[in-house]
Amino acid sequence: MSERDEIGKEPFYAGRGQILEMIATSAPLADILTGIVLLMEAQSEGLRCSILLLSNDRKHVRHGAAPNLPQAYVKAVDGLPIGPRVGSCGTAMYLKRPVVVTDVLTDPLWADYQDLAKRCGLRACWSTPIISSHGDVLGSFAMYHQETRGPNAEETRLTKAAAQLASIAIERQQDHIRLREREARISLAAESANLAFWVLYPEQNTAWMSEKGRAMYGFNLEEPLTRESLMSRIHPAERVAVEAAFEQAQASQRTFEIEHRIVPPYGKPRWVIVRGRFLWDEHGNVLEIIGVTIDVTAQKQSDLQLQAQREELAHLSRVALIGEMTASLGHELNQPLAAIANNAAAARRFFDRGQIDPEILKQLLGDILAASHRAGEVINVIRGMARKGKSTRSLLNLNAVIADTLRLVHSDILIRETAVVTDFDSRLPDVEAAPIEIQQVLLNLVMNALDAVSVLPPAQRRIIISTHEREGPYAEVSVRDFGTGLPVDGAEKVFDHFFSTKAEGMGMGLTIARSIVEAHAGTLGAEDAEGGGARFFFRLPPAPRLSISKAA
Amino acid sequence: MRSEKSAGSHVVCLVDDDPLVLNSLRYLLASDGIAARSFDKAETFLAHVEIHRVALVVLDIWMAGMTGLEVQARLPSMCCQTRVIIMTGSEGPDDERIAVQAGAMAFFKKPFDDEQFLAAVHDALAQARSTT
Repeated sequence: MSERDEIGKEPFYAGRGQILEMIATSAPLADILTGIVLLMEAQSEGLRCSILLLSNDRKHVRHGAAPNLPQAYVKAVDGLPIGPRVGSCGTAMYLKRPVVVTDVLTDPLWADYQDLAKRCGLRACWSTPIISSHGDVLGSFAMYHQETRGPNAEETRLTKAAAQLASIAIERQQDHIRLREREARISLAAESANLAFWVLYPEQNTAWMSEKGRAMYGFNLEEPLTRESLMSRIHPAERVAVEAAFEQAQASQRTFEIEHRIVPPYGKPRWVIVRGRFLWDEHGNVLEIIGVTIDVTAQKQSDLQLQAQREELAHLSRVALIGEMTASLGHELNQPLAAIANNAAAARRFFDRGQIDPEILKQLLGDILAASHRAGEVINVIRGMARKGKSTRSLLNLNAVIADTLRLVHSDILIRETAVVTDFDSRLPDVEAAPIEIQQVLLNLVMNALDAVSVLPPAQRRIIISTHEREGPYAEVSVRDFGTGLPVDGAEKVFDHFFSTKAEGMGMGLTIARSIVEAHAGTLGAEDAEGGGARFFFRLPPAPRLSISKAA
Repeated sequence: MRSEKSAGSHVVCLVDDDPLVLNSLRYLLASDGIAARSFDKAETFLAHVEIHRVALVVLDIWMAGMTGLEVQARLPSMCCQTRVIIMTGSEGPDDERIAVQAGAMAFFKKPFDDEQFLAAVHDALAQARSTT
């Protein structure tokens, strides 16, 4: 005999222990409910019991357990609506309180079910709602007798106990279902988001990873995971960065995020974003590192495609710019060519006359060389602008880029009889950018400014190009003209595709300029300047410092 | 033969704000025995022509501050009989017409042929001699 029998002397409590054990071991709900019914029936001669459940929509009764009630009755009850006059059980669930019917043949609650009760030989029915720990109705516990009678005190007490037992069993099962549904939903979301979960246990050097994660990293389901095996999947070029991100996250106690490639043993490398966090115990030891890995390969590919399209457009726009700058480029080439031709002709003439002074010859040849170099530079710039394809980024000083660009459009500025004033911030931080593209942005702004002031008499045509270090920090370049200002219907309009005030313009220049600046993590804006005219400005973030400080 | 026809010193002036071009023109004329005075600014040439007799000026159009065509337009009121040759590295649609209408003896697009250019210079100088 077990201890339990000594504590709870009544046979009901002994049975209750068994039921609780079934609940604890997650036996099927139907078995548990049947167990409760049988336990109760054993307490009293001639007693029949049943458990009904409230449907998910909370409007109908559903069969739970009724091992000793006639099948016809069980079938007839299953699916009945709950309500204020639906027998004992439907009413008890509806009213959320016990309903005692001593004679079903006379009680108005049973008016619609008298025939059924008569056929099944049921006369009295007492029903107690089964209430969850949150106070919601889960079902009802019913007791039937073949003669008219009401419950005695003992029966009422036991009914309560049985209903409570059923409540525990039903609630537990509902929690189970809810948990499973939640898990299913999370894993569905994770899978469709190409998300993998993982946990690293640094102390034991083991790791757990969701199935999706194992597939992503190329581990089979049984393979034990270690820090080393995980590291081996990270692209060699990014391992140091990943380790650094982990170390920094541990030091700063913050969530870390890093983008890198994983290289599974089979299949193509994938781009992923890894986000994780360290968990510590109360003594400050790392318990585990939990994280998610998101596959962003598809996004990355479309990013790359977008970038390629952007570069293609930028190239077209540069070619268009070359067209707009024909005056400048022609002039810049014709000047040195004229010098070369004149010097060469002079040298030949001196020879023909047989009176060549070596000093003069040296001077002529020197000038020819200088002029050739100058022409070569112009051609290099044109070639750079016309060149298609990926523009590589390097460390740039924007002041220098502006100076170069102004040299390039020197003749346009001359021809348009415009004064260009520069005001450079000598502390301007360097930026990391593609020189050709930044030059393209500048050319766009300068050519636009030249157009903007062309409506003014020559003496008033002025453009101010300045640089400033701005809060952020940012390196800012500003091109300010003294023209008629921005369109009255909105500054942003100038950035629209095909917006152009020029007869020959494509109207794409500023749109593309903005996309170039944005691809460099910067912004390009325009505003009416104080005192008239427009100010276009772009801001670029400073280049990241390359040196890694070892000092802690 | 042409070298024999060399005119007096500094009657030919060259005005171009590009030093490489300016020097090359001076050498080209020198190789044909013509001495010339160089100016890299329109303003300094105008100051010069106010007090000196200039038989011929070769003017570049696009210079900082003032264009060669503007210089040409001012000349008649300042001095008599300075012949003008206009040259340019970047031709505007009306530049040649304006220059010729204002009396330019020749118009050259850079880079130009040395024979033609020197011929134009000699023509201008011959004309200058015949009228003085």
